[in-house]
Amino acid sequence: MKLTEEENEMLEGKYGEAMQTAMELLVAVGECYGAERMIPVASAHLSCANPVTAGKGGTIFIKNMAKGGGRFVIPTTTNPTSLDPWAWREMGFSQDIYQENAALSETLAGMGGYLCNTCIPYLIGHAPRLREHVAWAESSAIIYANAVLGARTNREGGPSALAAGLTGRVPAYGYHLDENRHGSIKIRVNAKLNAETEYATLGYFAGKIAQDKVPILTGIPPSVSQDELKCLGAALATSGSAALFHVVGVTPEAPTEEMATGFKKIGPSDTFEFNLTELKKTEESISRIGPEEADLVVLGCPHPSINQIKRYAEAFSGRRVKSKVEIWILTSHLIKKYAEDIGYAAPLKSAGVRLAANTCPSPMPREFFIKRGYRGAATDSPKMVYYISATKGIPCYYGSLEKFIDWVTDKG
Amino acid sequence: MKEIIIKGHKVAKGKAQGEALVSKTSISFLGGVNPETGVVVEEGHELNGKSITDKILIFPVGKGSTAGSYQLYELAYYKKAPKAIINIQADPVVAVGAIISDIPMVDKLDQNPVEIIKTGDTLEVDADQGIVTVRSKSK
Repeated sequence: MKLTEEENEMLEGKYGEAMQTAMELLVAVGECYGAERMIPVASAHLSCANPVTAGKGGTIFIKNMAKGGGRFVIPTTTNPTSLDPWAWREMGFSQDIYQENAALSETLAGMGGYLCNTCIPYLIGHAPRLREHVAWAESSAIIYANAVLGARTNREGGPSALAAGLTGRVPAYGYHLDENRHGSIKIRVNAKLNAETEYATLGYFAGKIAQDKVPILTGIPPSVSQDELKCLGAALATSGSAALFHVVGVTPEAPTEEMATGFKKIGPSDTFEFNLTELKKTEESISRIGPEEADLVVLGCPHPSINQIKRYAEAFSGRRVKSKVEIWILTSHLIKKYAEDIGYAAPLKSAGVRLAANTCPSPMPREFFIKRGYRGAATDSPKMVYYISATKGIPCYYGSLEKFIDWVTDKG
Repeated sequence: MKEIIIKGHKVAKGKAQGEALVSKTSISFLGGVNPETGVVVEEGHELNGKSITDKILIFPVGKGSTAGSYQLYELAYYKKAPKAIINIQADPVVAVGAIISDIPMVDKLDQNPVEIIKTGDTLEVDADQGIVTVRSKSK
């Protein structure tokens, strides 16, 4: 790789041990992918910012980087952590995990991190602009940044996003290069979709077909909302490994189909249709249990926006969570505060729905779920199904809230 | 004793000497290897039950989650890491793991290491020069 003078100095250790390790790591990744140079990035978003997904290894590594003088040189945000730092006791978390979690957060804050602890940094003041290069981890945030905002990021992992935050650089390959951003597979949407969950189902279908290819979607109306695109992308990045999609006539790199594909023709063998039959089939394929078996409900994944919280508040208004059921809505503490201030949190609270902040089941310890003894979960997000079933071993029901709200709450 | 010198490409700096442990299939460090014992625990893996500790570990390419880099670091923290790693083609997860854990690593050798090197061969890895010296007992 060709490095600038400053990058070479980082590699030689002129700026300290942590910067040196970070640059070595980025050069190695660049060489794996045949990158020719580094590019400056405007921000980094870290996954593995909690003791569960970082593990002991990641926790020690981050501490050693801090000791080695590591300080973030660009705005560096963090993904959800293992618990809500305000409500952990009431939710049944142990003192030990609280302390481990707090210690890692303190280390990252000491390095200059923006401890926002959410998977939607782009909704709370950290949205990259069109064509801006960033180094983000967290597949749902990556795909939103690339597809909806038109920023440029690869699928960074915990260590590489950390290194990017410390150096302000990433190797130039993959989604950073224009030629790799064109769609090569087409999904024709032939159904009128309502609500985020149906867009999530479409995303799950598209990701399964596309795998690591960039899909273009046609037939989605220009009125599609930011929340719907966010849910579509998160599901797409769950069933596949693509980090970008284009919605013709909607997303910034797809004003026309030709521009979305880079003027390449997509043949009939790479064209797929999504109609009401596919919608139903896909939705049913995600569930393993019926809604009557759920004693845990987790809503909103990625972290819900203020609009989504408003709709949840309306749905739960005048209802009461059944005695053997827990219902969680997890989001950023900023959005939670906003919801409290403008009156959307109160109806949730009186229904017995827990609105918690800065956490997610993925970084929660598996032992927590075993100890609580949940038998089944219901959720309106395919990504949440993956986390709860694959990483915590709890079978899930998937569908929109209206499909299962009567199973988990009582009226009046 | 037969000596072969294979040339390759440095992924992570350093030198090491030791006994080869060869796997023809990929290895995932997240969930595939117990970081506190260094024993391969992946069900059905050809190295299942074997320790990778202090071996020169040869396998085609890494697989699995990016948190695998941190698992390799955890192995090194418990002093259960391999002495060096040789891949046909490095992937970012293992490459990053080797660099942060100070495990010498090479790839892109001019002969296929998984075929040429046998478990039990004595190896010298000079990652800085990108050279692997193989001393084979057989033949």
